[in-house]
Amino acid sequence: MSVKDIVGRHFSAHAETDVLSGRVRLGLFVAGVVAVLFAPVAQMIHPFWMDLVTHMFIFALFALSLDFVFGYAGLLSFGHAAMFGAGGYAAALLIQNVTSSALLVLPAAVIIGAIVAAIIGWLSVSARGIYFAMLTLAFAQLFYTIAFNDIPAMLLGVDAVTNGDNGLVGITSLTLFGMDTGSLMSYYYLALVILAGMLALVTRLANSPFGRVLQAIRENEDRVAFIGYNVDRYKIVAFTISGAMAGLAGGLWVPFNSTATTSMLHWTTSGELIVMTLLGGMGTLWGPIAGAFLVVFLEDSLSAIGNWEIYLGIVYIVIVIFAPRGLAGIFQTVRSNPHPKVLLSRVRSALVTYREKVFS
Amino acid sequence: MVLDGIAKTALLGVEMGMTLVLVTVGLTLIFGMMDVINFAHGSLYMLGAYFGLTVVSVTGNWWAALLIAPLLVGLLGGLIEYFSIRPLYGRNPLYHILLTFGFAIMLHGLVTEIWGGQVQNISTPALLDGSVDLVLFSYPLFRLFLLGVSIAVTAALWLAIRQSDFGIVMRASAHDSEMVNALGTDVKRVFTAVFVLGSVLAGLAGVLLGTSQAVDPGMAASIIIQAFAIVVIGGLGSYRGAVVGAFIVGMLNAFGPTFAPQFTDALLYLLMAAVLLVKPAGLFGNPEAT
Repeated sequence: MSVKDIVGRHFSAHAETDVLSGRVRLGLFVAGVVAVLFAPVAQMIHPFWMDLVTHMFIFALFALSLDFVFGYAGLLSFGHAAMFGAGGYAAALLIQNVTSSALLVLPAAVIIGAIVAAIIGWLSVSARGIYFAMLTLAFAQLFYTIAFNDIPAMLLGVDAVTNGDNGLVGITSLTLFGMDTGSLMSYYYLALVILAGMLALVTRLANSPFGRVLQAIRENEDRVAFIGYNVDRYKIVAFTISGAMAGLAGGLWVPFNSTATTSMLHWTTSGELIVMTLLGGMGTLWGPIAGAFLVVFLEDSLSAIGNWEIYLGIVYIVIVIFAPRGLAGIFQTVRSNPHPKVLLSRVRSALVTYREKVFS
Repeated sequence: MVLDGIAKTALLGVEMGMTLVLVTVGLTLIFGMMDVINFAHGSLYMLGAYFGLTVVSVTGNWWAALLIAPLLVGLLGGLIEYFSIRPLYGRNPLYHILLTFGFAIMLHGLVTEIWGGQVQNISTPALLDGSVDLVLFSYPLFRLFLLGVSIAVTAALWLAIRQSDFGIVMRASAHDSEMVNALGTDVKRVFTAVFVLGSVLAGLAGVLLGTSQAVDPGMAASIIIQAFAIVVIGGLGSYRGAVVGAFIVGMLNAFGPTFAPQFTDALLYLLMAAVLLVKPAGLFGNPEAT
């Protein structure tokens, strides 16, 4: 085998395993164009839709941040609410006391998210699997109780910092280059641009040698360590990057929602994020975005016909049992054999496997 | 004066700790045997309380609720294990966290839909109403009953795990389930039985604590995190660890509000994190040390 063969094979293999293949990229591009055109249409029909979609964008960004550590490095974080909340509270405090300039507030949220994540990551990465999940959960809850009891205020000797259970309310919107982003339309575009930019960045990272190492860690941590990589350091860096993004999502969420509350830091927020990521399909980047869209949409539309958690829970349970690769996995299966007969036989074989496992 | 305050708080701590054992034992046994982190365990506890509420309102008999509600929860737990957890054995254990979290979401919605979101209370049976004079202080009779039941159940279970045939099979399966299976015991059935047992205990705790405290849809979320902290502190999979961990947390919960009200919860999570960092397997985290 000549060197050329090896190199050629290396490159073709690389292309096949690239995160976000050509078709998916095209699909995302089309989705982006649709999103850009959607706002004026929504404005005409009902501004409510723009509000809902902005909500989706922010949570998509949050889900993207989890997918980077969970889908790529295989680290199930049950504490992403900590970074989301830290970014959110940082944004709220800055807007209330210093400035509402997006160019200052959002980077601050990113930095705070990264710092919190670096600390949690540094302390947690040596634990594996379930223990990592439990540690991140414990640290995130620690942040929750700190905000809930307003411990910073007590330590600083002031009246209120996080304002406890009431949270910080009446947060004004961000300004960008002197413009107010208070109108729904401008906030919609701000969130869309940030989401698109972050998706591009994460895709680059996932396809970089750094991203490859993370995937290798997910597949076989020990082997990567034996080759000579410092596994813990890779994990900490990945967790920090992810936390920075979660902080950014929090920093975007607070001005949009005009409040920063302790529920942002609660473990159920981390759990909901995991639901989004898994429903969409972890490790695909576009899947968690779709998952976030779906969950936010269900949350909104199902609350009219009863308690949405029941339906979301059922859909989610079925996905975990029958389609652990989520919507993205279903989509890939359908695309690779679009024939209905093949698909039906796939479904049947999945049911047979299920029956065997249950009744054996 | 100070002495009776301390004594009363200490008794409260013991009581809170021992009742928590009812919840954590199921969690830790299920993990020890099947490596399943059951996020829905708190929801089963909550269902115990709500079933109890309904049985009391239908029959008017608290004792009937104490008997029926845990059995119903056990049945439900068995169904959950059989139809959803079973198919996932052999997959990455993280999927069990993800799956049972789905049940926690669904059951929270279901409970809110059926019973409403308001705070309710199971009325104390007439026989256990009132309080007892314990020389230094008086204590509600029902809470003493709670303590007695918890201690009795914990001790009985301890004996059963140590002495009974089923206990031996359980410990053997926790140690090496493949070998137990090869020796002719259907391990899957043992798993189901343990899951049902854990669910029954959670349901029992639900009726008891639903009577002494309150019943609301938030009770699942608040107890499950505490229960996680306890089993992590004690050592996932260890029976002794679950008891000791619950005792520590019970004391923390009792004394915390007096000495450092704002730091009580923070201390719990700090303790959990510290144990995980220093001794990742927990205080008694040896799978054989049941």
